[in-house]
Amino acid sequence: MSMKKIIGITGGALLALFSAQTAIADETLKVGISAPMSGAAAAWGLGFEYAAEQAVAKINAEGGIKAGGKTYMLELHAYDNKYNAAEGAKTAQTMLNRENINFIVGSIGTAPVKATQALSERKGALLFNTGWGKSIKGPKYPLTFTQMNTPFEILAPFYGYIKEQHPDAKTVAMITPNDATGQELEPVAIDTWGNLDVEVISKDKYERGTTEFQSIATKIATSNADIVDFGASPPTDVGSMLKALDVLGWNGIKVVPAGTSAGTLSKMAGAAAEGTYLGASADFTGESASEIQRELNAGAMEKLGEALNGITISSYDAVMALKKAIETADSIEPKKIAETLPTIIFESSYGPAAFGGAEVYGNPQQILVPVMITQLRDGKAVEVGRIAPAELKKRLK
Amino acid sequence: MELQVQLLMNTLQIGSVYVLFALGLTLIFGVMKIVNFAHGTFFTAAALVVTSVMMWSVDTIGMPIWFSYLIAFVMALLVVCVIGFVVYFFGFKYVLKDLNGSFILSIGLLLLLNGTYLILYGGVPRSIPAVIPGNITILGASLTIQRLVLMIVAAIITLGLYILVHRTKLGLSLRAVAEDQEAAMLQGIPYRRVALYGFLIGATLAACAGALMATVTPVTTVIGDDFLVKAFIIIIIGGLGSVLGAILGGLLIALIESFGGYYFDPSTATLAMFVLVVILLIVRPQGILGHAEK
Amino acid sequence: MLKSNPGLALCILIAIGAICFALFSGDPYYVQVVIWVFANAALAVTLRFVLLIGELNIATAAFFGIGAYTTAVASTILGWPFFISLLAAPVIAGVISSLFGWITLRTKGPYFLLISFAFTEIVRLIYTKTEALGGNSGMIGMFPPMELDAYFPAIAISILAAILFGLYAAERSNLGRVFKAIKNNEDIPRSVGLNVIGLKILCLVIASTAVGLVGGVHAYTNSVIAPADFTYFVAVLALAYVKIGGEGHIVGPIIGATILTLAGQFLHSFGPYENIFYGAIIIGALLLVPGGIVGLGVRFKAGTLMGRAGR
Repeated sequence: MSMKKIIGITGGALLALFSAQTAIADETLKVGISAPMSGAAAAWGLGFEYAAEQAVAKINAEGGIKAGGKTYMLELHAYDNKYNAAEGAKTAQTMLNRENINFIVGSIGTAPVKATQALSERKGALLFNTGWGKSIKGPKYPLTFTQMNTPFEILAPFYGYIKEQHPDAKTVAMITPNDATGQELEPVAIDTWGNLDVEVISKDKYERGTTEFQSIATKIATSNADIVDFGASPPTDVGSMLKALDVLGWNGIKVVPAGTSAGTLSKMAGAAAEGTYLGASADFTGESASEIQRELNAGAMEKLGEALNGITISSYDAVMALKKAIETADSIEPKKIAETLPTIIFESSYGPAAFGGAEVYGNPQQILVPVMITQLRDGKAVEVGRIAPAELKKRLK
Repeated sequence: MELQVQLLMNTLQIGSVYVLFALGLTLIFGVMKIVNFAHGTFFTAAALVVTSVMMWSVDTIGMPIWFSYLIAFVMALLVVCVIGFVVYFFGFKYVLKDLNGSFILSIGLLLLLNGTYLILYGGVPRSIPAVIPGNITILGASLTIQRLVLMIVAAIITLGLYILVHRTKLGLSLRAVAEDQEAAMLQGIPYRRVALYGFLIGATLAACAGALMATVTPVTTVIGDDFLVKAFIIIIIGGLGSVLGAILGGLLIALIESFGGYYFDPSTATLAMFVLVVILLIVRPQGILGHAEK
Repeated sequence: MLKSNPGLALCILIAIGAICFALFSGDPYYVQVVIWVFANAALAVTLRFVLLIGELNIATAAFFGIGAYTTAVASTILGWPFFISLLAAPVIAGVISSLFGWITLRTKGPYFLLISFAFTEIVRLIYTKTEALGGNSGMIGMFPPMELDAYFPAIAISILAAILFGLYAAERSNLGRVFKAIKNNEDIPRSVGLNVIGLKILCLVIASTAVGLVGGVHAYTNSVIAPADFTYFVAVLALAYVKIGGEGHIVGPIIGATILTLAGQFLHSFGPYENIFYGAIIIGALLLVPGGIVGLGVRFKAGTLMGRAGR
């Protein structure tokens, strides 16, 4: 690996030396991010920005992106969309119409993503997003790409694995925040449990920002469900609920599909969180993580105090996908790149990855990376299953 | 039966903190005739200070947890008093009894302070180790000993405030000012000083609530906002400026949250609270225990 | 008081200039900024309109949202034509506000403030729980018809400018004077036989109808709306525009909205610092320039006329 790196760097340096005489000054290619950087979801936006910064720095250090006989250096512009549609529309205007950014390498939040999409598709700009809704993709939106696994990718293998481990589990209680993500996830989750012969005996919603979970915990504990599915609840809320459940003496199977941060969860709930299954967390320190992921994660820990997760690391992957697509298309024309993206295999932070999902969405717009199932053991996320999408396996052959 | 006891116990757990928070808000309204939208920032500041001090004293110095929590609690109150003092002297002093002016000032403070907390503390939630570990069962309802102690401490503080307002000279001035400021001034009560005391007591109550909540819930830089909205509902129900009203209102809202959250779902319970407020205001605009506007 | 006629002429010129800019400038971003400035100015002016009777109406945010949702439902679910969808917004907002005002305007001061706050939250929670309205994801796809697309910014600015001038005219009319009289002492208008509650409701309905139309324009400008766009914070920002620009004259909120909207564009990439800046500017303006920018101008003018320097 290190030898390859040295060759790479020397090669890049030599190339730069030769081309320096012929090439005119490097061109700049602006890429944008729209994510919450303040308020309750600030941690996601800040981690997301960090991962994109690293990808941009890496590409620039390696000599930029080459297309159409020119070399482009990336420049990252990050904007706070405050997790709502109105601000999402404003950041979209700023990125697309003021800064003339043609590539949005990451956006977080279903509502602001939709607001951005309304403009980006009209303007002909590429939009990478983490939106969990099915409605965000499809032939109507040819320039939109989802950069992380969504419930449609995660839930079937995730719940399947859990049912396999606990074949006696017959009932599940669902609790999810009353936000866009929660509302998009719930019906998919109910269907998926149904296919596994697990009955959903209660479904509850709570307002984001709630700090008291006593009544929910009491309800779950008295319902005697075998499984509790916390849906799109963020780790902090799950931690509070688990703590309250523990006090009430409930001890069943705990499932968090949107569980992003195992660290936060175990810090919040301690022993009560042991054994929880997480769907969107990733063990970026463990053996199965790639070297890049370990490096990024360590950097984020140092700079932000929080580990990266499936959402935040996805901005790195989007930048890498963009680079490969630009170079393959040999153009910086967003439409051409959008046509190229589903055809390439690029080096993501997980390893080789691609875009697909035409069967589900009608258009190949979904990143294909492994679903990683982790379980909290001794306060740490341990990877218990890594399921690569069948489509990706086929493509890699 | 056991279930009802559990739900009632939940009500008391939730309600005790609501009461403390709403008391501060209603007291400030009473003496200053202002609606303080920045009240939640006092709560947040106290909770954040507790996590910082605990992190330092437990992890770095290695002090026993209960002792470092006591230090953290005192530090939190001090920090909030300083913040309260500064915002009073450089802000609220100039907008006493100016409803719109104070509202916009408190909004400015809310933005400024929440932004500052985010920069200082980042978006990652923090939590502190259990001060008193262990669970307890009362009449079939289980709760942590911490929650039980929290309820008792909150009840003592509430009682203390009630005595302060109704049995001391300072309390008499606070009530006199709340009732009729001009008459109070004619009686020789120094209005500005009483307003400052009222404001600081209110801020300290929010700080107590925040420092107590830090023991049982993860602390974020926006933790106070949720309490703020609930506290508004509480003081409207109880009557602006009414101490007893804030106590009853706090418990009522906690009751709705606990039972409504159980029998329906939590987000419906939240909606129900707001609807209740509107209905109540139609029937009795001055709140359960408020005085009619003159 | 500012001398109205040359000032009014200047304002009309500025509005025409803005409409021309929207028609002939090729730069979509700056046209968009002009729309935001006008929309925010209209929000601030409608908030101030209820301040004429002395009430701080947080529900401005709710009626803004009701307007936006009405237009969204009319255009995407019912498939009504563009102008009718747009006009449905003020109608519905006006009807709901008359009910809201009839119930709540018996209270005043802090009680009205807090009820209007609670109402805003209720309305927002109802959107989040209503699946037909898209729940928390909100509604998408409000586009002006293709043949009007190029003119839409100019239409939006014209409508918003018309709202501003309309409310100015209303304030200058006899009705406006009665509103101000109610604020000063409602016993006096009552003593001459006026129905004070009815007049208060009328004031609220006028303002809410206007802000409902602003909401309709907002739905078409953004093409996407979601419940989180209509929190009480919309009214808070509007109040900030009013306070910074000055409450004394209708141009105050317009100036305030212009300055803060433009400043906001440059602060957009500041992350958490953006809120700190807004907070600081609100506090600073309130404490250092109590009458707002308009107040400053008036004081300066008075100071020079009377031969002494303004404080």
